[in-house]
Amino acid sequence: MRGFGATLGLYEPGRGFLYRTAPAPKAVASLACAVAVIAWRSPTTTAVALLLTFGVLIVGARLSPVRVLRMLLPAAPVLGILALYQGLAQDWLRAFVVVGGITACLLAARALTLTTATQDLLDGVVRLVRPFRRLGADPERFALALSIMLRSIPYLAGLFVDVRQAARARGLERNPRVVVTPLVLGAVAYAHRTGEALAARGLGEGDLDEDPPDDRTGP
Amino acid sequence: MQPARTTVTGTAGTGRRSTRRRWDATDLSLVAVFAALIAALAILPGIPVGPLGVPITLQTLGVLLAGLVLGPARGTAAVLLYLVAGLIGLPVFSGFSGGFGVLAGPTAGYLLAFPLAALVAGLLTLGVLRRTHKFRVVLLFLAALTASLLTIHPLGITGLMINAGLPLRDAILVDVVYLPGDVVKDVLAALLAVSVHRAFPRLLAAKPPLRA
Repeated sequence: MRGFGATLGLYEPGRGFLYRTAPAPKAVASLACAVAVIAWRSPTTTAVALLLTFGVLIVGARLSPVRVLRMLLPAAPVLGILALYQGLAQDWLRAFVVVGGITACLLAARALTLTTATQDLLDGVVRLVRPFRRLGADPERFALALSIMLRSIPYLAGLFVDVRQAARARGLERNPRVVVTPLVLGAVAYAHRTGEALAARGLGEGDLDEDPPDDRTGP
Repeated sequence: MQPARTTVTGTAGTGRRSTRRRWDATDLSLVAVFAALIAALAILPGIPVGPLGVPITLQTLGVLLAGLVLGPARGTAAVLLYLVAGLIGLPVFSGFSGGFGVLAGPTAGYLLAFPLAALVAGLLTLGVLRRTHKFRVVLLFLAALTASLLTIHPLGITGLMINAGLPLRDAILVDVVYLPGDVVKDVLAALLAVSVHRAFPRLLAAKPPLRA
């Protein structure tokens, strides 16, 4: 509907060794950063994590230091308040440890999404589910659910904007019920339409040798 | 015979006791579309409410709605799908953030509480819808309120203590600021869920009469 599709996926093409690294090691490194910062809370950990993430982003994705700092802008208000609070209520070393640690992890996560195409990320997470197939997991249906979800976000966001404009035209934009009800009903109807379309193509159902899943046939 | 993912199967078992059927295509797309709904509500600007026009963000509304509308199994699955999408780096959390970095951030506790909130809200909703047709708005409001008080707030406070390094008293003070807005969202979620169940009566209810 509207141009919200472009907001999804944070991949920006570029050059550097980060772009040539497979998604899995990058994801592990970004997760390891979060674990390390939470588990060993010390000035050394924070300093090392900050230096590493900054260094890797500057060298591995060939970004200027200013661009790396700009990536932190969305989180800046929260980080600033937290730093101020920690510095005044406790001491400034602690403020550095806590806020620096969070900053490093945000950058590490951003390094993954910046240098990995969205489709590769999705493929990676589906591959992650595959070993659990024996336990009843179904990677194909999981992948299908993920792609339906991604396809639906722009539709729902567009619907939300339309509904809000309609409410504003009636002077009701301050009433959240008027704004959200059509959105939620629209989402459920959209899901039913999608489900029917999938069923018509034989997608998303279970194995064919099972009983028909509808148990609401009644007497 | 299982839902889409192993993490969900445990909860699915508690949700439907005797008839554990496999999800059909509509269940699958309901789960996916509700995950998308939570994402859409989280990333779009909040709605100004009341005379002062204080904006409320609608991420938790989406989470509670998933439980109230889809029930415990599909609701929890929708929230988990949303979390997975956000954790691998899609910008679907509030303020267009995403990635493992949020696990170290101050709001990690709230995010990790969301699937539990949907589970509790869904279980309570199932009980309400199967037993009574009266006072549904009030009962579903209580279900949503119970879910958020039992899961989102305690885990959110824990997250603030661990990740932001706040002492317990300060963490509670930070958390309490969100309580009034949460009550508004619980009321809204209950009103919306009743509308949805009226418009789509077969979504969640209409099972036990065969046995009763």
